[in-house]
Amino acid sequence: MVDWKKWILGGLLSIGFIILPLVFHLHSSIMNLLILMFVYITLAQSFNVIGGMALQFHMGIAAFFGTSAFVTHVLWQQGIPIYLAFLAGTLASMVLSVVIGLPTLRLKGMFFAIGTIALAETMRIVVSNVWPLTIYMPVSVSANFTFPPRYYFALMIAVFACVVIAAIKQSKLGLALVSLGDDQDAAQVSGINLFKYKIIALVISSMLAGLAGGVYCYFRVNINPGYLFVPLWSFEPIVATAIGGMGTLVGPIIGSFILVILSDIFALVLGEAHLIIFGILFILVVLYYPYGIIGSFYKIQILFSRIATGRASAKK
Amino acid sequence: MEAVIQILAYGIMVGSLYALIGMGFSLIFSVMKYVNIAQGTFIMFGGYACFFLFGYLKIDPYLSIPPVMVIMFFMGAALYKLLFSRLSDLPVGLRLNSSMLITFGLIWVLDNTATLLWTSDVRSVTTSYTGKVITLAGVRLGFTGIAGMFLALIFVMALHLLLTKTYFGKAVRAATDDAEAAAISGINVHRTFLISCGIGIALAGLAGVVIATTYSISPSGGLPWLLIAMVVVVLAGEGNVSWVFPAGLLLGLIEAASVFFVGASYREAVSLLLFITVLVFKPEGLFAKGSIVG
Repeated sequence: MVDWKKWILGGLLSIGFIILPLVFHLHSSIMNLLILMFVYITLAQSFNVIGGMALQFHMGIAAFFGTSAFVTHVLWQQGIPIYLAFLAGTLASMVLSVVIGLPTLRLKGMFFAIGTIALAETMRIVVSNVWPLTIYMPVSVSANFTFPPRYYFALMIAVFACVVIAAIKQSKLGLALVSLGDDQDAAQVSGINLFKYKIIALVISSMLAGLAGGVYCYFRVNINPGYLFVPLWSFEPIVATAIGGMGTLVGPIIGSFILVILSDIFALVLGEAHLIIFGILFILVVLYYPYGIIGSFYKIQILFSRIATGRASAKK
Repeated sequence: MEAVIQILAYGIMVGSLYALIGMGFSLIFSVMKYVNIAQGTFIMFGGYACFFLFGYLKIDPYLSIPPVMVIMFFMGAALYKLLFSRLSDLPVGLRLNSSMLITFGLIWVLDNTATLLWTSDVRSVTTSYTGKVITLAGVRLGFTGIAGMFLALIFVMALHLLLTKTYFGKAVRAATDDAEAAAISGINVHRTFLISCGIGIALAGLAGVVIATTYSISPSGGLPWLLIAMVVVVLAGEGNVSWVFPAGLLLGLIEAASVFFVGASYREAVSLLLFITVLVFKPEGLFAKGSIVG
């Protein structure tokens, strides 16, 4: 069953974002924030596939994000057109995910988390040792740098990521992922090939992380190669997904909005202490709304509908 | 030959610090099954407590260990009481993930508190004896490094005795094996958890003192130490607190050798690669799974 209301709402939202820069003249700092938000949405959906649905706590998204961004950048420098370089970068991070996933996905619980974070840190150390200098966009590109193409490109990728998640949620794959997130042993007994689905989820997740990396590379004028692999890129998508709601479609979007836009407003209002307050708020959300903002909203909805049906049946 | 002895000595010195770091993390992880991602940040806090006592009250870093550990013990108890104890109502699958998420948030809070209090400069505790070197049989050893090694040895031994010889240790081992069964047999599981969380963080504080005297501390410098703690725990095997010390020593020796053969800038990468290899081929831990503790 296709939920038309959701699709219409999503379409309206994306049309709104398409029209936004055409109607208003947006300042470049706002443009920056919006593009960053789209990158975060893509990254958060990337975590959502494997961490939200299948509950495999993936702490190494930076590895895939960085690989793609770096490969894209190097190819772009060589004079290869951006769209080809972009595809090559995404492909590189997907290949990496297969190489890494085959051994590490056999691990359970915390060990998968630690294995992926160790992978990202290893790559960060190696890359920042081999390429310590800041790299720049090709000069021909940075000479006439404009925001709109980057904005629309980032928006397109973010919408694509959300469509992928929506499609997964309605497919057999989504069902398998949710069931193995609930109870691995029970899922295996019911005939679900755990390993196969985990690999598929990891490849899709790193494809989205790779797309985000390509967007980031296209958008930044200068990049420090080591910075592409810092733990920030692994942790903040997790935070965004957890705030919004793990395993939901809308959760990561709301979470990224809160993380990028609201934390920027917080920073303006509260100054230096804003991350302390943000951290405390985040802890409170995890403690009292373990299913995230959207997840808890659904829970309440279900509760209300149960009460309603209970009353209806009592009347009979 | 001399180089080999130097590598061995350096490896043992670094390795005992790693064992100490792994010990605190492992205690919390194996007893409560919670992953404390903020362990490295707590280590930095211990270092800052030592730095504060040294800089403002002029207390020698080694004399500041008891107050630092007491402060950190109460921080750990508060961590359990305020955050971890509330997670026990959640379903099992969500519990581990929620503990990681909560400690993510804690990293933000602690990091930025440290930045506000002590600025983001890289600090270290420099005493009159910091640069002193002792030459033993042709091997040059830093004084602070040796002191750190002995501290780590003393506390690892003490923890081992606590876990194997006392009633509290028995309760901890019982709760590690099966918290529900332990609760049924009359063990106050909540108190056991509270105290072991406190000890875990107090050990992080001690490690912070050692790091402040031998290395340096900064608000966001906790992550490499967290990774070391994780690597040591995985090498030792889940729930294998007594094998943490050999695992730490092994990691220290491998790192020392890699500094000699590959170069200092790849030191961390080599240990992490070793770690991934172990995870892939022997995920249950490098050392044979004997009894849980002792």
